[in-house]
Amino acid sequence: MRRLNMEKFEPKIISFLCNWCSYTGADLAGTSRMKYAHNIRIIRVMCSGRVDPTFVLKSFREGADGVLICGCHPGDCHYHEGNYKCMRRVEFLKRYIKQMGIDERRIRLEWISASEGKQFAALADEMREQIASLGPCRVRKVIENVS
Amino acid sequence: MEKGKKAKKEKLKLAIYWGAACGGCCVSVLDVHERLLEIVASADLVFWPLALDIKYKDVEEMPDGFIDVCLFNGAIRNSENELMAVLLRQKSKILVAYGSCAHMGGIPGLANFHDRDSIFERVYMDTESTINPEKITPRPRFEIPEGELELPAFYNDVLTLGSIACVDYYIPGCPPESERLMEVFRAIVSGAELPYKESVIGALDKSQCDECKRTKTDNKSVKKFYRPWEIEDDGETCFLEQGVLCMGPATRGGCGVRCIEGNAPCRGCYGPPPDVTDPGAKMMSAIATMVDSNDPEEINMILNSIEDIAGTFYRFSLPASILRRKVMEETNVD
Amino acid sequence: MKDSRIGVYICWCGNNIAKMVDVEQLAEEIGKLENVIISRDYKYMCSDPGQELVIKDIKEHQLDRIVVAACSPRIHELTFRKALENAGLNQYLLEMANIREHVSWVHTDREIATVKAADLIRAAIEKVSYHEPLEKLSVDIDPATLIIGGGVAGMSAALSIAEAGKQVYLLERDEKLGGHAADIDLSFPYLNSVASFLGPMIKRVSEHKHIKVYKGTTIEDIFGYIGNFETSIKPNGGGKEELKFGHIIVATGLKAYDPTPIENYAYGRIKDVITSSEFEQMLLSGKILTKQGKVPEHVAIIHCVGSRNNDTHEYCSRTCCTTALKYANQLRSALPDAGIYDLYADMRAFGKGCEELYTSTSGRNIMFLMFDPEKNLPVVSEAKQDEECEMIIRMEEKMSGENIEVPADLVILMTAMEARDDAKDISHIAGISMCGNNFYIEKHPKLDPVATTTDGVYIVGTCQGPKDIPESISQARAAAARVLAGILRGTVAVEVTTAVVNEDICCGCQTCISVCPYSAITFDEEKNVSEVNEVICKGCGSCGSACPTGAIRSRHYTDRQILSQIKGMLNRGKLKITQTIIEEA
Repeated sequence: MRRLNMEKFEPKIISFLCNWCSYTGADLAGTSRMKYAHNIRIIRVMCSGRVDPTFVLKSFREGADGVLICGCHPGDCHYHEGNYKCMRRVEFLKRYIKQMGIDERRIRLEWISASEGKQFAALADEMREQIASLGPCRVRKVIENVS
Repeated sequence: MEKGKKAKKEKLKLAIYWGAACGGCCVSVLDVHERLLEIVASADLVFWPLALDIKYKDVEEMPDGFIDVCLFNGAIRNSENELMAVLLRQKSKILVAYGSCAHMGGIPGLANFHDRDSIFERVYMDTESTINPEKITPRPRFEIPEGELELPAFYNDVLTLGSIACVDYYIPGCPPESERLMEVFRAIVSGAELPYKESVIGALDKSQCDECKRTKTDNKSVKKFYRPWEIEDDGETCFLEQGVLCMGPATRGGCGVRCIEGNAPCRGCYGPPPDVTDPGAKMMSAIATMVDSNDPEEINMILNSIEDIAGTFYRFSLPASILRRKVMEETNVD
Repeated sequence: MKDSRIGVYICWCGNNIAKMVDVEQLAEEIGKLENVIISRDYKYMCSDPGQELVIKDIKEHQLDRIVVAACSPRIHELTFRKALENAGLNQYLLEMANIREHVSWVHTDREIATVKAADLIRAAIEKVSYHEPLEKLSVDIDPATLIIGGGVAGMSAALSIAEAGKQVYLLERDEKLGGHAADIDLSFPYLNSVASFLGPMIKRVSEHKHIKVYKGTTIEDIFGYIGNFETSIKPNGGGKEELKFGHIIVATGLKAYDPTPIENYAYGRIKDVITSSEFEQMLLSGKILTKQGKVPEHVAIIHCVGSRNNDTHEYCSRTCCTTALKYANQLRSALPDAGIYDLYADMRAFGKGCEELYTSTSGRNIMFLMFDPEKNLPVVSEAKQDEECEMIIRMEEKMSGENIEVPADLVILMTAMEARDDAKDISHIAGISMCGNNFYIEKHPKLDPVATTTDGVYIVGTCQGPKDIPESISQARAAAARVLAGILRGTVAVEVTTAVVNEDICCGCQTCISVCPYSAITFDEEKNVSEVNEVICKGCGSCGSACPTGAIRSRHYTDRQILSQIKGMLNRGKLKITQTIIEEA
């Protein structure tokens, strides 16, 4: 039996993508057969404005090492301004998690348009590198090991 | 059994205990004033360290389910708190988490920004008034000539009652409003049908704003946040619309908007409305939405006007929150 | 997790998924999960037999939730929703796991891909168990149509709809109809006069009893949704007019690229460097002359000006090569003795009759010179006094590899097509999305090329991307057919994946109201709660995450659904996948 190489840290990254731009961009990366880091697990939301801080915190709690949120480019939001709402929430959230001892670089907000499959693939790789260099996020472990 | 005997209602057996608490919850029970007579008329207090001299062993000797209602206030900070929580769970038909600390961790829960070591370091060594050259810290066991002394073990985390024992009901508040306690008490005594298990009682489903008399509009855009003392409150406008952080929207009503009535913004002791997992996260999201800018730099500038986000948004709920505590080990960039 | 009876269907997609994901083992392992009653893999889930399989299982095993792990939900979610409906199950009790676009097509290790597919399926299972049945709302369709843009595309669409007896409102911001086609002399590849068909077309549109043309009119806002849009316009600066319509066709066209920023071409500095649009004017006037009024002895045409270069536009503007060939022919006919040089990057003479045009043009003494559009753009400079020509173009000829100098008295720049400056405004007004380069994006590049992500709104012509006249007309007529089908049906079911307020929880803080981009939320003073107008709400969910009380639920994307999805995605438990045992560390 082959076991996956557990020694090498492979981060778990939850990614929230807006339906109209970023999810479509990620689909395009697929249709174009671009290869990227397998660590990204995508959750579709209609708009990045739907991404509630609760979702991000829950991701860390359940064991995610990083959270990548992608929305339409500023000004291109399908719902006009949802991405700006997301931007404000992410800035807020970064300050909070930093206070909670979590490296703020574990949360990342980027803009990916429907035509940016290539950019999405590159971003996925970059995010993997970034989170891998930060090492495992300890939130879940800390919560499981009550003492 | 004789019919007449059955009809005569037995008095309710009531217990009140505290974990990591300030004592305010116990005082809130006393704050029912003359209605205490009403309580005593239909209930026997079988355990209440604040008022009665009953020892642990007396509780241990009670049959399981002997206590009808136990109001447990305070968080779980040490092994004694946990032991008693588990014991009282066993001995009580209805275990009520009474007050913010038992409900969500409360103010003692803010200790989750630290761990045991750093707390001991500060409390037993670093404080300006401490002289402790031997660097002695509390130890669970200590040998003396007369035998072994035992102290409760101090936990690394502050926990909620619910995370240690199965809680039947939560009565929120720091402390709970005495009037709400009376309502719950009367409901139990009258044999009224109680709400489903693990629900919050003695509070409203709707949050503070529903009762708040201040004028509210949909114009909730904020260019700068203020601490209450930084502005001249007009006493009429919604605090949020004046840029003052008020946890009212994410906090259940039931307290009679007592802080807001006193011209202080709500701090969130009554906890989240029914469908909210993490009131701090919800409130952060709402407040971020109010930030009146689409420019990253300006957003950051506006957010700079909020001090201590974690402490403000999780003042009473840190141990019950999604992250529950600060991660001490993770290297942080500054 | 809620108790439910879930059916999981894992698609091979031929070999597209099965090659990279062990679908058989996955189906077996997933079948062992709690609440999963049926777990199957199948060659093509989207095929009729694939859908039949789902329908049969729903009926036989009383399944109440379905997970299909296949391609992107953007492609087949509707297909499978229909299957659920056919089986008598509410169509929203479906969740898809995208294991093709997000797994098999982007990863290269079969085990890893299989593990990831398992994570996505688990997440879908967790989420679907919290799905709620939703009933679509049926709304009537207003038979009128608004068309924005009176160029060839807009007019063609207008005529097709009006011919069917349905009312069209045609908005044109300029004072005349015809758009960019009106500025073109001859059309390629057969060199017919554009005016010969455009003139009659404009006349028909202007006189049609079912078309109301508003010239010199812009639009500022559109309210409503498919079947029931409305706007108020100020035709020609006159009084306000209210319009109601059921569909929108956006045909706002293009803008020619301004080549000033490309220093190599000296546009604006040397006066005899002109754009293709300026050359069309010259052709229409019948005189090919330099600024000094001389007949040019040497004419150079430069391709890909603003196209196919990362500094300008990465895309190909598609029509310029053939247009350049058209110019070469027109120049040769007008100036039999002149030197004509065609500086191209690649000759993309695609389309019916266009390659033939290239072949015949090659036989007319035109010098074709190739350059590299990325690295080595030709450089146009003024010639010295003693030279016979006005300008010299220095270039590295790619075929020969030689550095050469091309003489020119007139240089024609084949400028790119780009999105209009107001493209963004129109996209907001009509509720359509844009690609990175500001062209509008279609609902699906292959399967739904004229529809947009907003129901009832279509895009035709060059606002969607560079194209020639026949292509624009084809799109216009395709959109007209879609609109007429909608009008004929009379009603449409609108999505109900909207926000909804729980009045028992809403505290009346009004945080949500200004969050809504569509003003779909209003405040009920009497009840002291917010209210969502479900037909106006487009379901972005922004209000749901702004609501501090949890009173607003974003249907189909509720907190509980997404939180359970997260949980499913990150908790593998002890699924045995491929040769590997995945255990939580």
